[in-house]
Amino acid sequence: MVVKQTILHDKHVKLGAKMVDFAGWHMPVQYISIVDEHNTVRNGVGLFDVSHMGEVFISGKDSLEFLQRIVPQDISKLEYEKAVYCQLPNENGGVLDDLIIYKLGINYYLIICNASGVEGDVNWMAINAKGFDVKIDNQSHNYSLLAVQGPKADELLRTMGLDTVQDSFTIKSAKILDRKMYVSRTGYTGEDGYELLVENKYAEELWDNILEYGKPFGIKPIGLGARDTLRLEAALPLYGNDLDMDTTPVEAGLSWSLPRDKKEDYNGKSVIMDQLANGGKKKIIGIKMLDKNIARHEYEVYFNGEKAGHITSGGISPVLGCNIAMAYVKNIKEICTGSIVQVMIREKLHDAEVIKRPFINKRNKVRN
Amino acid sequence: MSITEKILCTKTHEYILKNDDDTYTIGLTDYAVEQLGDIVFLELPEIGTTFSKGDSFAAVESVKAASEIYMPISGEIIDVNTALVETPETLNEDVYEKGWLVKIKSTGDSSEQDDLLEYEDYKEEVE
Repeated sequence: MVVKQTILHDKHVKLGAKMVDFAGWHMPVQYISIVDEHNTVRNGVGLFDVSHMGEVFISGKDSLEFLQRIVPQDISKLEYEKAVYCQLPNENGGVLDDLIIYKLGINYYLIICNASGVEGDVNWMAINAKGFDVKIDNQSHNYSLLAVQGPKADELLRTMGLDTVQDSFTIKSAKILDRKMYVSRTGYTGEDGYELLVENKYAEELWDNILEYGKPFGIKPIGLGARDTLRLEAALPLYGNDLDMDTTPVEAGLSWSLPRDKKEDYNGKSVIMDQLANGGKKKIIGIKMLDKNIARHEYEVYFNGEKAGHITSGGISPVLGCNIAMAYVKNIKEICTGSIVQVMIREKLHDAEVIKRPFINKRNKVRN
Repeated sequence: MSITEKILCTKTHEYILKNDDDTYTIGLTDYAVEQLGDIVFLELPEIGTTFSKGDSFAAVESVKAASEIYMPISGEIIDVNTALVETPETLNEDVYEKGWLVKIKSTGDSSEQDDLLEYEDYKEEVE
């Protein structure tokens, strides 16, 4: 398989980034230091190239009915220029991908999905579009996505001429340095920030300008390594680690995103509604290691001497100064906040305490 | 003579340095540490343990990943850099003076060193 490159690929290489293959793309994992990049986003502002992600536009007179069919969320309640976090379940309630749906107009929606998911999502949508008057337009190859994240993100974009007033989870067609683009106040870091969806031909100039205008704010380019540690602290799921086809949104701890009163039927509804009432087969927990060991993806988790589950994502928390992880365990009430579980690391069990997710306080409130 | 002229390296990125008292110091190469990125965890063996060439005797973790560290030659652990376990990030600055891992008394034959590489050859091999 040919490894794809974003429009900004050569800029990353020139900046000295360490490049890795991620979901079929050659992406920067770090420029200098993951920990430094992490702290830059928590305390200032960082710039991410996330152009590998997918953009799919939905239009046609049955757009709403179609979206209602494919996600558990109630898209009829999604207002113009607002965004909602969604999952794409199969008939069994298992998650095929997680995505954000934006309402751009009447019968006009944008879906941003994972790089690994685009192709499968579009196929799945095409199958589900039968009988609906809807157009599924995969524009991933024509758009670049730049994320500007951190407490200083808003101030920085103001200096670049952004003049919209935007709450968290809103999108507007706006101008930055007189260039039109979609400006979304969303992100994957647990911080305030924006994601800028721009036509490929303007991506390089936008990248350079943000780094230039960002200098007084101490901006740095941020790789996928810090993106992972940032989203882990915020306990945001990563598809493939914390979410997969054998896991429902309820089991993934995403019940907050699931409406109980949506009238329309959708894929997996009976399983999801049943689990909302009675719980899933497994549940996701957050843990804090009680020693210096690091729990990583797929390590086994034990409770009372028995295997109880496995780690889905784990690593360091630069903000908390300890090591944290998320895990799926048997859905038993004995495993709850404050419980001690063990993680098998290099053939030895290490204690960890179950703690609340997200691991850090909500910081992504809009700071105008 | 710079330190890199005195060490021998493995393809799995460990080095050995022969000391004046015929013991050996073992560490990770600077290239290995650069590839790992921010080092956040180190696990070292206890003094008195013996290992054969190729055995995993220690573990290092960066933010990104966990890696095993293998014995370049057979030996008994006679000293451990315990200070480094407390501040594993020191490895990102220096892998020789402050960042050595263990000292060993060799228990194998000198032919065990035949497949070890001089630093320059090692660099050529891995880069």
